[in-house]
This record gives sequence, structure tokens and C-alpha cells, in this order.
Amino acid sequence: MPLPSQKPTAVSAAKIEIDTIHSFLIHPGKGAESPHDINGAAVPKSGKLFTMLQPIFDGAAEDCQHNIAFNAQNGQQKNECRDALITYIKNRDINQGREIAKRLQAVTTHRSGLGLLFLITGEDKGEIKIVVSRFPADSGVLAEEKGKGLTVEFLERIFMKSAKSYKAALYSGKSFSKDFWRGQAADKQVNSAESVIADYWIREFLMSDFLTPGEAGTRRFAIAVRETMNRSTEPEVKQDIVAMQALMGKMPAQAGVSAKKLLDQFHVPEETQEQIKDRFRGAKSFEETFTFVPNEFAKFVHMRTTELDNGALLTAPTERFDQVFTREPVGTAPGLFRFSTQGRIIDQRFRKVKP
Amino acid sequence: MTTLEEVFAHRRDHVLVPLAERIEDYLKELFTGFLRIDRISARAKSVDRFMGKAKKLDNGKAKYDDPLNQIQDQVGARIVTFYVSDVERVRAEIEKYFKYIESQKIVPESASEFGYEGRHFILFVPTELLDDALSGDESVEFFELQIKTLFQHAWSEAEHDLGYKPSTKLTHDQKRRLAFTAAQAWGADQIFDEMFTQTTQGTPE
Repeated sequence: MPLPSQKPTAVSAAKIEIDTIHSFLIHPGKGAESPHDINGAAVPKSGKLFTMLQPIFDGAAEDCQHNIAFNAQNGQQKNECRDALITYIKNRDINQGREIAKRLQAVTTHRSGLGLLFLITGEDKGEIKIVVSRFPADSGVLAEEKGKGLTVEFLERIFMKSAKSYKAALYSGKSFSKDFWRGQAADKQVNSAESVIADYWIREFLMSDFLTPGEAGTRRFAIAVRETMNRSTEPEVKQDIVAMQALMGKMPAQAGVSAKKLLDQFHVPEETQEQIKDRFRGAKSFEETFTFVPNEFAKFVHMRTTELDNGALLTAPTERFDQVFTREPVGTAPGLFRFSTQGRIIDQRFRKVKP
Repeated sequence: MTTLEEVFAHRRDHVLVPLAERIEDYLKELFTGFLRIDRISARAKSVDRFMGKAKKLDNGKAKYDDPLNQIQDQVGARIVTFYVSDVERVRAEIEKYFKYIESQKIVPESASEFGYEGRHFILFVPTELLDDALSGDESVEFFELQIKTLFQHAWSEAEHDLGYKPSTKLTHDQKRRLAFTAAQAWGADQIFDEMFTQTTQGTPE
């Protein structure tokens, strides 16, 4: 048994060669009483189709940006999709692959339409890698020149790695006990306001969810923003965060975001982004996908503003408002207070107000 | 060729102990201000206990053929609460903030039995606590989290200490005494939880 090196080593980036590809035609079958038979085929390891699929397999780690993990069923260490995947990996048999295809068919609606499922597997020195991908059906026109003539023909079943609806999932590892619980997924429509596509591919078919729960991802992001707000000495950074916080306060829950994507979405300048990123414990978590939960964000990042009848507006982070401003009653007049604070002026702004 | 014990001891010192510290800090931060939590702790499994578990038999055969990857409580954390109803509150919070592959309420199999109780999770280590520099072979994917009341915690600690002494095997009478203490701990938990509910929500007429 080899002893792990004294110093941590970088994750192996050795290229794994493809050894099996199976493909299945998936008809919509969600809610169908008699689902369509699923036809499958082994794809040879040469030729144009193989050449097209190889970059998908090789580039899956970069393409599949969302960290996902299988859900436990009834609290047990069991997940039917994971079980089907592991059975297939162990046998690499078209019939076992068909079981995965059946699962996809059972959740495929007519809206998702016809699709072509590929199961691409490779193994090297005990490391197994599988890419599951679905190409949607499209239509097109075939134009063929014959001598000086041209024939055109309408084609209905063209399968493309469409940038708008291509889906994939990647799993790799050496141990069926420890590995193959987490994976990476690509779902090009996951950022749409409705998360129907994420539900179909990630939750229904893969029986998975994002590895980082929404509350955890949002909390991590909110704490980084709050810490930057509290510790940054640059007024521009604080201004950026106040502006972002005001906009985010009205933002609904949103699936498939990351800290990086949120900051980009609100056009937060690079310098401020860097300072927020520095508050993350690991660079990977800055770009990790989660579902934004507004209430969770508001727990950590909120400003309190008190407006006085003399026109004064007092603003400070909520948790420090009472430290920043001292409030004392004035005489015996009800509701009359004197607020005081002290500090160096780092910024002044003038705003138009309605007359 | 190094032994399993040497590999685990190395992993324990270089991976598990620092990870347990990070997990403990993370949990303490998450539950800051959460009422009626007595303690939060995390620890790396000792070499002796790991080896003891790795050598376990199941129907005469080794239970684990790949213990380094199969044993999921190499890092174990525990949250101890005051009352039984607090266990559920903590459970709900854990399920919100962690991805899990197991969530089980552990209770004795029959209604007439008293023994080990608690809520057990097998949780993914949060991404920000992972050491990015570790290879897949060295990395730890999961840790175990137990949520227990003070009485469940006290009973399980004593039971573990008495039951795992290598030199002695508990007699039938000693096992009954142990079950009796479990019943007492269970009863104390029920009464304290009832009293807590009554004092916070009002006593029924």
C-alpha cells in the first residue's frame, strides 16, 4: 500500500482514453402509459462520430461547471440513478445502459422533445470516468450537389451539441464507496429565470441537487460581502457594496448562480470583486454554483437607515448602527432625539431630491 | 510496502486532524447564537478505533475490503443540545446548510429496548473546507455528524468506554444494568423536554 506523499500533491490531470460509448434514442415519456421502446447502439472508437464525441469526453471537467451530488433517498445512502450508473460502469453493457436511458425517458416531456443520450466511459489506472450527455433533436436542410444540380431535403432528426440546450454530467473516481456521489453537470439553460430545465436534468433525471445547498452558498457569499464592507479601507469598495446590497434586496431566489456570477450580474468593479473573493476560504468556492436565497443574504448584509424630520438620513450596517450612532433623548419632548457620531470624512455625495 | 495502520496514521496527522479543526470551527460559527447548545466538537478517529473498525467481521468475512474509502466517520462531529426537541431544530438547520447522503434517527429496534439513541448524518465536507491541493486518494469526501441531547451524549460516552474495554466482556447482568441507565436517560430526556415545553408555552390546566 503506497504511503501518501508528505506534502499534498496536485490532483492528477492524466488524460483518460475512451473505451466504451453507447447511444440511445430518447422519446418523450413522462407520464406515458406505454413508453416508446428505447433503441440503442454501440459507437465504434473511430470515425467522425467518435471524433465529435472525444472532445466532449476530454473537456467535460471544464464544460460541466455545476458541482452536483446525488440525493439520499429516505435518508438512506441510496440513490436509484447512482445505482444504475454504477451498475453500468461495472458492466459497460448496452442493456445496463438502457436502464439509464429508461430513467431519462421517464422524465422527458414533449417540451424537452426527442433526444440522443450518450454514455461515454473510460478508465486508466483504476480511475474511472463517465460522461452522460444529451443532445436535443433539431431540424435542418440537407443540400447536395449532383453534377450541376442541387437537391435539398428537409431533415427532422438532427442531433446537435446545441449551445442552448446541451446537457451533460461527469462522474469520476476510483472507489464506488467514496466516489461517484458527487459529479459535475452542464445545463446551458440553468441560468434562466425559471429552473424547469435544472429540475428536469439535475433533479429528476440525475436525482441530484447542487453540492452546496442554497442557504450555505448564499451565507458564504453574504459573509464575504459583509466582511469586505466592514474591513475595506477603500470608500469606493464600500460604495459598490452598498449599491449592490440595495439591488440584491429586491432579487428573487435564483438557481445556478455563483459568487462570481452574482458580482458580474450587478456589474461590481473588478477591484471590489477581488476584495470579496479574498474573503472566501477557497478559490473554488468563489465560482461554485448554488441557489441564491434572498432571506439568507439579508441575514448578513443589510444597512439600516433612519430618517429624521429635519432632513437627516443616517445610514450604517444594521449590526453596527447603534455603535456608530449614539442616541439620546432631548429634554422631555416625546420622540425627540439627538444623534451623534464621530469619524473622518471619506466621501460626500450630493443627490437631487424632489422639491 | 506500508501497512493500513501506517497509511491511516499518516492520513490522520496530515489530513484528518486539520480537517476536524476546520469542521469544528465551521459548525461553531454556523450555530453562533443558537440557543440551548451545550457543545460542538469534531475529532479525527483514533488509529486504534479505525483499525478496530477496519478489522470488523460480518458473517465471518471482513466487513470492509477498502476501509480507507469505506469508513465514513474518519472525522466525526457532535452537537450536544439540552432537550430532545432541540435535536430536531438542529437537524433542520443541518439539512439546510449541508448536503448529506444519510440522515437517520437512531433508536432501539423494539419498543421494550433501551440503548443508543441520536440523530446521525453522513455529510459532504463543505467545499470551502477541502484542501484543494490534496489528490483524490487523500481527500476526504464525508464526515459523520451526531446530534444528541446531554443525556444521550453522557450515556453513549460511558457505554462506549465500558463496552469497548479490550480485556473484559460485559456479562448479561451488566448489559441489563447498562440498558437500565439508558432507560433512565431516555426518561430524563422526556421529562426535561416536557418541562421545557410547559415552561415556555404554558402549562395545560
